[in-house]
Amino acid sequence: MKKQVVSVVLTAAMAAGMLAGCGSSASSSTSSTSSASSSAASTSASSAASTSSSSSAASTSASSEAVASTSGAAGVGEASGKYALVPKSAGNPFNEREASGFQDALKALGCSDDQIIVSYPDNPTADSQITVIQSLISQGVSSIAVAANDASALDAALKQASDAGIKVCTLDSDVDADYRSVFCNQAGVKEIAQALMDAVYDISGGSGEYAILSATSQATNQNAWIDAMKQIAESDDKYADLKLDEIAYGDDEAQKSTDQTQALLTKYPDLKVICSPTTVGIAAAAKVLQDQKSSVKLTGLGLPSEMKEYIGDDDSHSCPYMFLWNPIDLGALAAYTSVALVNGTITGAVGDTFTAGDLNDGNPYTITENSDKASEIILGQPFKFDPSNIEEWAEVY
Amino acid sequence: MAGKSGRTIDATPKTSIKSRVLSWESGLIVIFIAVLIFGSIVSKSFTFSNVLREMPKYLSELFMMYAMGFILVIAEIDISVGAIVCLAGTMTCFANRAGAPLIVQIIVCIGVGFLCGCLNGVIATHFQELPTMIITLGTQIIFRGIAEVSMGSGGSVSLSDTMGFAKIGGMVGPFPIAFFLIIIAAVIFIFVLSRTTFGRKMYAVGSNRTAALYAGIPVQKIRQICFTLVGTMAGVCALFLLATSFGANTTTGQGFEMDVIAMCVFGGIATTGGKGNLVGATIAGFTIVCLRIALGQLNMSGQTILVIIGILLIVSALIPGINQSVKNRRKAIAAK
Repeated sequence: MKKQVVSVVLTAAMAAGMLAGCGSSASSSTSSTSSASSSAASTSASSAASTSSSSSAASTSASSEAVASTSGAAGVGEASGKYALVPKSAGNPFNEREASGFQDALKALGCSDDQIIVSYPDNPTADSQITVIQSLISQGVSSIAVAANDASALDAALKQASDAGIKVCTLDSDVDADYRSVFCNQAGVKEIAQALMDAVYDISGGSGEYAILSATSQATNQNAWIDAMKQIAESDDKYADLKLDEIAYGDDEAQKSTDQTQALLTKYPDLKVICSPTTVGIAAAAKVLQDQKSSVKLTGLGLPSEMKEYIGDDDSHSCPYMFLWNPIDLGALAAYTSVALVNGTITGAVGDTFTAGDLNDGNPYTITENSDKASEIILGQPFKFDPSNIEEWAEVY
Repeated sequence: MAGKSGRTIDATPKTSIKSRVLSWESGLIVIFIAVLIFGSIVSKSFTFSNVLREMPKYLSELFMMYAMGFILVIAEIDISVGAIVCLAGTMTCFANRAGAPLIVQIIVCIGVGFLCGCLNGVIATHFQELPTMIITLGTQIIFRGIAEVSMGSGGSVSLSDTMGFAKIGGMVGPFPIAFFLIIIAAVIFIFVLSRTTFGRKMYAVGSNRTAALYAGIPVQKIRQICFTLVGTMAGVCALFLLATSFGANTTTGQGFEMDVIAMCVFGGIATTGGKGNLVGATIAGFTIVCLRIALGQLNMSGQTILVIIGILLIVSALIPGINQSVKNRRKAIAAK
């Protein structure tokens, strides 16, 4: 009989412990979020001032940037609701920079911490994002900006969100146009594919074999770029001597990307160039190639801070140059778009214009139509990182 | 309860009111209520209608949990269910894209699950020297492999006509349709396990397979039925998952096997077989679902949620052990 009492007491203790544990971790997570976002504020401030190379100039201009943003906010209106961002996955530096840009832009518009929600899915899958979106609907947020892990799997959840009066926009990776108002595109698909294809052409010397190291096989943006690269390669005789050996998938995991790179090197001894349009893949491949002193060269889309030691013109470096856009600016654009949608400044229709703080040098953005007749906002051109500017950008992000 | 021989038979079911009140299940109900109270304190969005609306995504797993309970009771394990969900979902998407009527899609979905479960069962009963952990590890890779190959380079396939599945995932008042089916499934599975001779036979097989064989119980037949059943329920799970995600991809169903085993263990079903019941597993399943929803509404990161549930699981697995050692110590003292 006593043992049963003991078990009940233990059960109660466990329940109590659980409550206590949850409670404390919840509060600690809130505080860590606020500290993270405040540190992110300085990062973004320095990025905004990155044209001036000295870091002291960056810190002094932080306050002026905030003022500029506030005055520019007339373009999107007051930020009074709750704005949510659902990135692709946790622990990915690119996503974290997006989130910091998102948080900063909203803070510049006068949002408090509890008006800004950044909710990472537990796995880098659409299924996990559905769970997060469902939870955000329950919380009654004003807008959801999502970087989709799958082009169609989020449709049902996003439709529920729209039905509940929540404004939905996408960034980085799109969903079906029917289920979101507008897509914040980091750079046009064609522009990126052209830049990557030209880089492969240039680095290989115009002929030879190349391979692509992608993220997951269902990532919308990855597949769009790769398809566009294939089209460019087929449509122009200039690229006739280039042969695509394989598209490998590293699932945006460092270890798997490393394994895939090694497999590529073993399978294709004549390989000249690997093109990795994902930040995790390019960093993993760069390390493999440089460690093995391989003659294979690398290009693609990468984070400057992660790629600093691999970028160089000589044989001891694996990557001559690469591209990326500014994820902080992309996050900020998503924030301004969210606010503009909630306030009705824009509806997401083609032709709508709005100013997004000091993004695009303070010039207004116009919503355009992409090749699939869907509305999108293009952040800008892909930016080239080479030995001349990598040091400077590695400090920014 | 000492018999003539002086031995005690611990496994004899106790039915006194006291033992019912102080059972693991009542403990679980306390935890469940604690989770609900906790949820409504920490999140003002944790309301009846919101919880029910968020539920379908998690509910699909519960279908598998019941059948997994059977598997664990007969002291087996099946880790291929996540892959079966993936394969069944993929094939159903293809049937949908080919324009098959909804009823055919449903048959495809559950049928694929049935066949996969059948295959597991056939291997398990014909190669008895192989541990089922290894068999289902192998078939898991095969099932997921077939799904990935048929999905091709895109790695995902979506429904082209979502009308039918939108209905399956629909609501009756505030309740999702899946919720009613879960309740019906719960009643059937709990009845079979606790009130039929088939259920008793499963406990016998799980407690001591050799003894069960000599007692004339068709051990292999029961294993075959249980594996087929868990596969079929994985097909049902895939059906309801499709109704929330409208498509399948290479990661569909990943980790589901561990989720359902966790729910069963938390519900008091021992992985060593012959112990526990599905009432506990049902309460445990809903407890975990509600806890996830509550923590999700706090915008806690998914990893943190997993850590909390992991701790909960280990603690719950430890309690019977602690209980047993207390019991043993008391016996030792009494013997002196």
